[in-house]
Amino acid sequence: MKKMVLIAQKDIAIQLKDRKAFLLLLLMPFLLTAILGFALKGVMDGDSLPATVIGVYTEDDPLAKEFVENYLQQDLTMLTVKVAANEGQLKDWVTQREVDAGIVLPNEWGEQKKPATILAVSGKESSALFTQQLMDSFAQTVWTMSNTTEMIMTNLAVAASYQDPAVQPGKIQAELLNGMKEVVERKGQYVVVSSIGEQELSSMQYYAAAMAAMFLLFNAVRGGKSLHQEQHSATLDRLRMTPTRVDFILGGKFLGTWCLAFGQFIVFMAATHYLLGVDWGESAVQTLFIGFVYSFAVSGLAILIAAFSANEKTADMAGGIMVQVLALLGGSMLPLSAFPEVMRKVALVLPNSWALNSFTSIMNGATWASLGAAALVLLAIGAASIFVGSARMRVSALSGGK
Amino acid sequence: MLTMTNVKKRFGEKEVVKGITLHVGKGEAFGLLGPNGAGKSTTISMICGLVPYDEGDIQVDGLSVGRSPYEIKKKIGVVPQDIALYPTLSAFDNLVFWGKMYGLKGREAKARAFEVLETVGLSERGKDRIETFSGGMKRRINIGAALLHRPELLIMDEPTVGIDPQSRHHILETVKRLNEQGMTIIYTSHYMEEVEFLCKRIAIMDHGQVIATGSTQELCKRLAGGNQLLLDVEEARPAFVEKLKQLDGIEKVIHPEPSEIHLYVKQGQDMMASIVSMAAKEAVKLRQIKLKEADLETLFLQMTGRSLRD
Repeated sequence: MKKMVLIAQKDIAIQLKDRKAFLLLLLMPFLLTAILGFALKGVMDGDSLPATVIGVYTEDDPLAKEFVENYLQQDLTMLTVKVAANEGQLKDWVTQREVDAGIVLPNEWGEQKKPATILAVSGKESSALFTQQLMDSFAQTVWTMSNTTEMIMTNLAVAASYQDPAVQPGKIQAELLNGMKEVVERKGQYVVVSSIGEQELSSMQYYAAAMAAMFLLFNAVRGGKSLHQEQHSATLDRLRMTPTRVDFILGGKFLGTWCLAFGQFIVFMAATHYLLGVDWGESAVQTLFIGFVYSFAVSGLAILIAAFSANEKTADMAGGIMVQVLALLGGSMLPLSAFPEVMRKVALVLPNSWALNSFTSIMNGATWASLGAAALVLLAIGAASIFVGSARMRVSALSGGK
Repeated sequence: MLTMTNVKKRFGEKEVVKGITLHVGKGEAFGLLGPNGAGKSTTISMICGLVPYDEGDIQVDGLSVGRSPYEIKKKIGVVPQDIALYPTLSAFDNLVFWGKMYGLKGREAKARAFEVLETVGLSERGKDRIETFSGGMKRRINIGAALLHRPELLIMDEPTVGIDPQSRHHILETVKRLNEQGMTIIYTSHYMEEVEFLCKRIAIMDHGQVIATGSTQELCKRLAGGNQLLLDVEEARPAFVEKLKQLDGIEKVIHPEPSEIHLYVKQGQDMMASIVSMAAKEAVKLRQIKLKEADLETLFLQMTGRSLRD
C-alpha cells in the first residue's frame, strides 16, 4: 500500500511540473466553460423562449404608443425593447444586428389606415415572425373590441330612438366597457406556464458541468500514456525490479490518476464558482462525491487505455478520439435533450453522461438517494475497467510483451 | 552468490536461452559478453525476476528466483541499459524515490541519496532536473539509483553506452571500488577493455548458450594463433614470406603492405629469435618486430565469428 502511495505521489509531482499538461487540465476547461457559457447565454438562460431584442420606432400614433409602452414593455417581460429616435436609427440597429427584429409603427396605424412594417434581420427570420405574431395578436384584440363596441353602440342608439325605458345606452356602454376591461386585464390568468421535471439551468451552469465531465476524461488518456511512458523510458522495468508487486505498481499508477483527476475537479469547481459565478447547487458535498466517483471511473479507463494500446502514440490518438466521441454522445458539447431517443439511450452507458446528469441534478437540488444509481454505475465502470485492463496487462507481461 | 542451472527460456516457438549453467561467487566481478541477440538481456531479466524462466533454476544467495522473487530483489541492484529515471524530477528526488521503492524510510532514503550522489560524483547537481544533465551524468545517476539499498549483487547491463571518456572512467573506477568493497558485480558491455579492467572471470554467450567461461588469460590460451607478430621490413621479398610460412608454430601469414608482414602465432616470444635469424640469412632488413598478445576481442571474434559490436 505504501508503495502505491509513493508511485502516486511521484506521478503527481511529475504532473505538477509539466506546465503544458497543467494548461490542458485546468485552464482549457475553465476557458471553454467561460466561452460556451457566455456565447450560449441568450439561448439557454431563463425562460424557454429565446431572449429577443426588438427595436421599435413609432410616429405619433396613440395605439402604437399603447402597444409599445403597455404591451411590449410591460406585459412581455421576456422581450427587451429598444425605442429608436427615428426610422434611420432603427434601420442601423437592424443592419448592425443590434436587435433581432425592428418594427416601424406609422401614424394612423391605430386607425388601420397604414400598415406597420417589420424589419427582419438576416438569419433571424424567426424573430421577425415572432414579432409579427405579437403584433397581430395585439391588433386583432384591440380592433375586435373596438368594432364590437361600435356595433353594439350603433344598435343601442337605434333601440333608444324607440324610447324604450328598458334601454339605457349610457348604462349599457359603461357595463360593456367595464366587462371588456376585466377580460383584457384577466388575459394572463388563462394560461399558466408550468415546467415538468427539472428547472432549466443557466448556460454557464450547464457548460461548467459538461466541461468538468469532458475534461476529467482527459485524465484517462494522460494516465494511460503515463504507463506507456514508464514502459518506454524503462522506469516500468526498473519499478518491477524493485521488491514491489506488479498489482501495487498498477495500483499506484491508478491512484495517481485518481488523485490528479479529483484534484482537477476540485480546482475547476472552485474556479468556475468564484470566477464565473457558477452555482453548483446547494450541496457541495454531493458534487464532490460525484466528482470523486467519476474520477475513479476515469482512472479505471486509464488502465484500460494503457492495456489496449500498443504505445504512447496510439494511447494518445485512441484516447483523444474516445474523449471526443464520449463528450459528444454524453452531452458535453450539446445538451442531451437535443438528441434523438436512440442517442439518449446510448448515453446511458457512458460515464461522462452519468456524471453530467448527476452534476446538473445536484444543481437542481437532487437527493442523495437519486444519486445512488449514478454513483454505483460510475464505480462499476471504474472497477470493470481496472479488472479487464490489469488482466490484459498480466497476460501481455507473461508473454513477454509488457 | 548466483547459480544458474540449466536455465531455459522460450518466447513462442523460439528458444532464446538454451540451458545456461553459471556460477558467480560472492564478491566476484563477472563479465557477460555476447553479440546482440545472444540472450544476455533475457538472462539478466530472468535473474532480476522480470521474465520467468521455463526450465532449470536460478538461485541468488541460496534463494530461488522463482520461489522468493521479492526477497531476491532486495539483494539485487540493477543498472539497466536505458536511462530509467524521471527526467522532470531532480537527481535527488529520483534517488529518494528509488530508495523508498527498495524499502528505505524517509530519512534513511534521503541520507542514502546524499551518499550516492557523493559516490557518483554529482553532489553539486543533486537539485537539478535529470533532463538538464549530460548523457554521462545521467548514466552516473542511473547507476546510483541501483546502489541506494546497498545491494549484494549489482547487475550492470552496458552501463557506459554512448558517454564521454571522462564519465566512463568515473563509472569504471566507481564500479571497481564497489567490487573491492565486497559487492558482487555482473557486468555486460560491448567494450572489451572495460570487461578486462573490471572482471576476473567472463562468460561468452552466443545463440542463447554460454560457449566459454573462465578468466581472460585462460580463455586467451585456448586461442589457436591468438598472438600476432607484426614485422616492419624494408622490402618483404616473396621468398622470405614463403619461408616464414614454413616455420613451426606459425598459423597464418598476412602481407598487407610491401613493408608489413603479420604472423599469427601460438607463442610469439619464442618465435622472435628464429625470425630475426631468418631475416639475416635472407638479407631482409628488419626494422621492427612487435608482439601483440591475444585479447578478448580476438577471442570473441574467433569463438562467435562476429565482432562484439555487431
